[in-house]
Amino acid sequence: MDFYPLYISAKLAVATTLFIPIVAAPIAYILAFLDFRGKSFIDAIVSLPMVLPPTVLGFGLLIAMGPQGVLGGFWRDLTGERMVFSFSGILLASLVYNLPFAVQPMRAAFEKLDIRLLENAAVLGLSSTATFFRVVLPNSLPGLAASAMLVFAHSLGEFGVILMVGGSIPGSTKVASIAIYEAVEAMRYDDAMYMSLAIIPVSFLALLAINRLNRVSRSRV
Amino acid sequence: MKRISALILTLLLTLPLSANAADLMIAQAANFMPAMKEIIPAFEKNSGLKMQATYTSTGKLYAQIVNGAPFDLFLAADERRPKKLFKDGLAETPFVYAVGKVVFWSLDKDTIGKSWQEAVKSGKLHKIAIANTETAPYGSAAMTALKQEKLWKQVKPELVFAQTIAQAFQFTSTGAADAGFCAYSSMFTPTGKQGGFHLVEQAPPVIQAACVLKSSEHKEAARKFVHFLSSPEVRTIKKKYGYD
Repeated sequence: MDFYPLYISAKLAVATTLFIPIVAAPIAYILAFLDFRGKSFIDAIVSLPMVLPPTVLGFGLLIAMGPQGVLGGFWRDLTGERMVFSFSGILLASLVYNLPFAVQPMRAAFEKLDIRLLENAAVLGLSSTATFFRVVLPNSLPGLAASAMLVFAHSLGEFGVILMVGGSIPGSTKVASIAIYEAVEAMRYDDAMYMSLAIIPVSFLALLAINRLNRVSRSRV
Repeated sequence: MKRISALILTLLLTLPLSANAADLMIAQAANFMPAMKEIIPAFEKNSGLKMQATYTSTGKLYAQIVNGAPFDLFLAADERRPKKLFKDGLAETPFVYAVGKVVFWSLDKDTIGKSWQEAVKSGKLHKIAIANTETAPYGSAAMTALKQEKLWKQVKPELVFAQTIAQAFQFTSTGAADAGFCAYSSMFTPTGKQGGFHLVEQAPPVIQAACVLKSSEHKEAARKFVHFLSSPEVRTIKKKYGYD
């Protein structure tokens, strides 16, 4: 059996989990603490990948990331490479797809913060950056960890979007879920089963951890 | 209020029943969809029967049938799977209903030049779409052609693998891939006509076989459709979409 797809899935899950806070944290922060016109608009856009069928999102990304697309064209000018059918391509797709799953728990964690803590920080003259790193972040760690676990587990099982923009290239974009799908189609049911058995316990452990973290954060309040 | 909700509930419960009242359920390999869209109304008019088709890849349909999906007829994209169903006692004797061909296609007519071999060798194409060589018959036929021309090793790094021949067409038609090995039948669609193609003569013809399933409760209707498939009317439709 070919174990490489499992490795690619793990790599995609780790990379998504590492990179997504860069985009998700500022968005969650803005949605949690600021009030402005058009906020519900931004909220809806960020949540869109959660409700869109992965095939719709995948098809949109395939066109945007193609050589003639906005993203694909930009990427080609920058790196000289093609964005679709590459690991960077499926990573970007994964980041878009996972955005709401990262933002929602983060936002909930931020909103649960005691407002008096922030007021004290302001009274003591802490800058907003310092407040974020020294007050907001340490006090919402369980929520942030839950967000990371959710994104990790979610990327591990990614299918529909990758199917559209990946091209199933062995060693580069052929993730576990696609390999499983292909094994079923090729009547290699044993391979499909072993690969599934590798995914299930990891996803289960991630969910257990999320529940644990949620309980921790609830008992703190 | 209670009465209204009861009424709505009854309506909801009966709705799917009437929507499912087809006399014939067909499991159809996706590549044949354009032709099938013309064959079904013709058959319904001819026989007075209602027909419903599910279009997806042959491999998935096979897996569904083995696990008890309620289809009457299986129109595959290969010969292997209907034969296997027959051997396992799940289907009646298979028969060939269409023969498809592989083409090399690109939206940009210039990039494919004089022949498909030259285009592949030119190094100008960075990504070439091909259907899964293990599960999609059009993919394995294209691989046979590439191997026969001793181009397989050279082209392999450029290949992107689609799940079905329809997806290979999608990769190419969105410009995500520069060219692709597609089904001849796709060349008759509006998108297909926008580009240029070469017939891949070295690819063996894709023999598409069908079989009536033993579990079918509508064998009479199924046989009527099988008979209809060899009528002159269907032969004209098949020709129109590039099948022999």
